[in-house]
This record gives sequence, C-alpha cells and structure tokens, in this order.
Amino acid sequence: MNEERSRFGILGIAAFGVVAFLQIPVLVVVLAAFSKTAYLTIPPKGLTLHWFEVVLRDSEYLGAAWTSLWLATAATAAALVLGLLAAYAIHRRMVPFAASLTGLMMAPLILPSVVLGVALLQYYTLTGMRGNSVGLWLAHVVITVPYVVRACLSSLTAVDESLEDAARVLGADGFTSFRLVTLPLVKPGLVAGGLFAFITSLDNVPVSVFLLSASQTTLPVKIFTSVEQGVDPSVAAVSTLLIVATGVVLLLAERWTGFHKHV
Amino acid sequence: MTAGTRTRLPGLVLVSPLLLILLFAFIAPALLMVPLSLREYVPGSGISANWTLANYTSIVTDEYFREVVVRTLVLGFGVTAICLLLGYPLAYFIAHSGPTMRLTLTMLVIFPMLLNLVVRSFGWIALLANRGLINNLLIDVGLIERPIRMMFNLFGLLVGMSHIFLPFMVLMLVPAIQAIPKDVQSAAYTLAASRLRVFWSITLPMSAPGILSGSILVFVLTISALVTPRMLGGPTYKVMATLIYDDFLQTLDWPAGAAMSFALTALTMLVIGVSSRLMKRWGGQA
Repeated sequence: MNEERSRFGILGIAAFGVVAFLQIPVLVVVLAAFSKTAYLTIPPKGLTLHWFEVVLRDSEYLGAAWTSLWLATAATAAALVLGLLAAYAIHRRMVPFAASLTGLMMAPLILPSVVLGVALLQYYTLTGMRGNSVGLWLAHVVITVPYVVRACLSSLTAVDESLEDAARVLGADGFTSFRLVTLPLVKPGLVAGGLFAFITSLDNVPVSVFLLSASQTTLPVKIFTSVEQGVDPSVAAVSTLLIVATGVVLLLAERWTGFHKHV
Repeated sequence: MTAGTRTRLPGLVLVSPLLLILLFAFIAPALLMVPLSLREYVPGSGISANWTLANYTSIVTDEYFREVVVRTLVLGFGVTAICLLLGYPLAYFIAHSGPTMRLTLTMLVIFPMLLNLVVRSFGWIALLANRGLINNLLIDVGLIERPIRMMFNLFGLLVGMSHIFLPFMVLMLVPAIQAIPKDVQSAAYTLAASRLRVFWSITLPMSAPGILSGSILVFVLTISALVTPRMLGGPTYKVMATLIYDDFLQTLDWPAGAAMSFALTALTMLVIGVSSRLMKRWGGQA
C-alpha cells in the first residue's frame, strides 16, 4: 500500500509538472503585459498598466479586434445554419452519397490551412475577389463548418427519430416538428460546435493572412505580423486581454453546456 | 418512385447551399492549384506560359528543398515523441483520478488549447528570445555570460510546438486509457504481476489505438503548422509551410509554392491513409 501511494505520488508530480508546463507561456504573457521594461525579467522591474492604455487607445488594434469579431460572428452564424441543415439531411438519409458528402464537408480539416490559404489567394486573384470581405467570409465558413457538421451529426445520432414522426402524426408539418422537437434536442451540440467554429475563426492566421486587403487586418494577423518587427509589450497587453476573454468564455460554456464533454 | 423523389428533393435543398460554398471556395481553388504548380517561373518576369515538371522534381533534387522537407519530418516525429512522453503520464493520471480532479485538470489542458495560437507562440518568444526570460534569468544568476540561442533553430520549434499540440495528445489518450477494463489489470495483479509488468504488457498495448490516433493528429498538425514555425523560426529557419508562405507573399514564385503545397498535402494524406488502414486492422483483431 505504501509503495503504491509513493508511485502514485511520482505520477502525480509528473502530471502536475506537465499541466504547469502547459500554463507557463500564458503566465509569461500576462507578466510581460504589466512589466515596465520592454523585456522580461524575474522578478519584474516595476508594474504598470501603461501597455493596456496604449492598446485600448490604438485605433489599429481596435479596428483589428472589431474585424475579427465581425468575421467570426458572421462565419459562425453561416456555418451553424448551413451545417445544421446539411447534417440533418445527411442524418435522415434524405440525400444520396451521404458518406462522401460528409467526407467532403470534413475535408477542410485535413487540408493544411496554409494550402487552402494560398489556393484561395490564387483563386481570388484570378476572379478579381482579392481583398474582398465576402471572399474572406466564405473562406472562414469553409474552415469552421466541419466543427458544426461533426457536432450536429453526433447530436442527431442521439435523437430518437420517432419523436419527430410522432409530432407529424399529431399534425405538425416538417419544419414545425423539426423546430419544436429536434432542434431543442441538438442544442447542446450546436452550442459546442458553434463555440469551436467561433474560436477557430477568431484564431485563424494561415488563411486570413493571404486574403486580407491592405487596409484591413484581424487581431491574430496583426499580432503575427507585428512580432516580425520586434517584440513590444503592447502585444503582451493585447494577448492578456484575449487570455482573460478566453478564460471567461470557457467557464461560461462549461457551466452552460458541460463543454468539456464535447471536445 | 414518387416517394423517392419526394424525400430527395428537400434533402438536396438542405444540402446545396453548403455544397455550393464548398464548390466555390474549397474545391475550385484547390483544383486550380494543379495547373499553377505546372507553370514555369522566370525570376524577374514572373509566371510564364510554359509548362514544366521542374517545380515537383526540384523538391527532391534541390538540396535546400530536400533539407526543408527533412527538417519538417524531423520536427513532426520529434514533436510527436515529446507529446507522447509528456502526455501519457498526465493522461494516465487524469484517467485514474476522481471526478473533481479530472474536471479541473481537463479544463487546465483545454484552456491553453482554446487560447489564441499567436498568443501562445508569443509567450514562447518572450521565454526563449536572446533577451527573453530564460536567458535573462540565467545571466542574472551568473550561470552564463552571453545569451544561449534558443529560437530560430530546431530547439525552439520543438519546445514551442510540443507545448501547442500536447493538449490534443492528452485529450486523445484519456478516453483510450479509461476504456481499458479495470478487471484485466486487477486479474494481472492477482496473478502477482509487478506494476511495471502490468503497465508494459496490459495498459500500454491496450491503449495503443489512442496512442496511434493521438500521434497521427499531432504529427499532421505539426507538419502543416504555419504560425508557430514562422514566429519561433523567423524568416530564415524554414519548414515546408513557411516556405510556401514565403513563395506566395515574399518571392512570388507561386508555381514552386503550389508544388510544395501539393507535396505537403500528399504527406498528410499519406500519413492519415496509412494510419486508418492500421486502425482498421487493429479493430478487426480486437
């Protein structure tokens, strides 16, 4: 028994070590955001809120954040509607070649994002859509829709089809029975899929970086390109704001839907 | 027959909006890369009208391209190995802990995964740079006089990318380890097997499907990653994805970039294809 406990202890220490390793860069970024010096030291030489002020007054950062949020919202909304409709048709075998269709909808997950990015760059250049916001939005629908389709398909499997049939027998038309019976049952999956889609869009650099026009940028692309010109603590401040936002969203999602079960 | 058309028509109506978008913004762009990759690129004047296979052959014959491809593969294997070594103990611990501990640890694993990739990579820059946290600390303590180079080389990319893809590995391993029936392990203990023996001959082989799928996922994500290799490798230490990025945005040698894109896609397809065959065979045996 004693031996067992000590071995469990070693495993526990290793596990906590790895979990700590996972949080290190996060802590470092937060620390850097409050640091008075441009470069990091431990302990930090003085604390300041200056960099947050710089960021929140920087119109470029604010514009980029705004673009990111709009793009992610619009892409997620489209992915949710189109993904749910397609998943429903596939699940109820209303279309031929259901397996190949599912494969096609999941394919953007397998293709390296950078490859999709450059392919779209050439394609939009040829069709005169380069730097077009609609083109960027369509690209984000393509990269976010697999998460929604996957979540919807797995939620639909758990729904008893006879429930919807029962609603129809009782006089509801197809759309009403879907809306009142199936939709509430797949809602948790839809929320999880939508959250993943939103985060994927908000996180994306390898597709966006090729498609943005010169006058607009998203937040991750802005950080990505500004790091090449040298590290500035304001990047750490923006990142800290993103860390806090992510943490809040994760906690809310967990309380709301038991998010970790859908990962 | 009428029943068939009646159910098919709304089905097509439901699927077609998404299909049209995929056709327009996914399939067509991917197909148009094929002719692009077969064009000749003339430095100075751009893409010419001549057809050539040179963009593909040079990936194998050109020494620099070969080095980049090999480096990408080394990185893929290295990151996968590190993620397995770090991820397995954590996954094992999570799989065998109580509900509260399991939820807390799972959330701590998911949190960095949901965090913006650019932010995480930036965190590693702050740590590994010449004037970063680690070098400053070592100099202040007096262990070193000049900063150690930890970025723009294999070391930086291995550390940063292992950190970024570790959560994926853990999340694949936990259910695989949980799925092992406790009875088998207890039976082995009853038969006086040592803990190490039980681990080697029961736990490890029985979690092999999880190990394989986690490794495939991490390998594929590593070789196709752009952001972290670019941020931690800079413009000089290149992998396939960052080479493609530079071909399209810096040197404008689009045909070479398109050929390299197909090489990268073929590599990921190959890895996924071989592994799914393996999985099926294992599934058949079980």
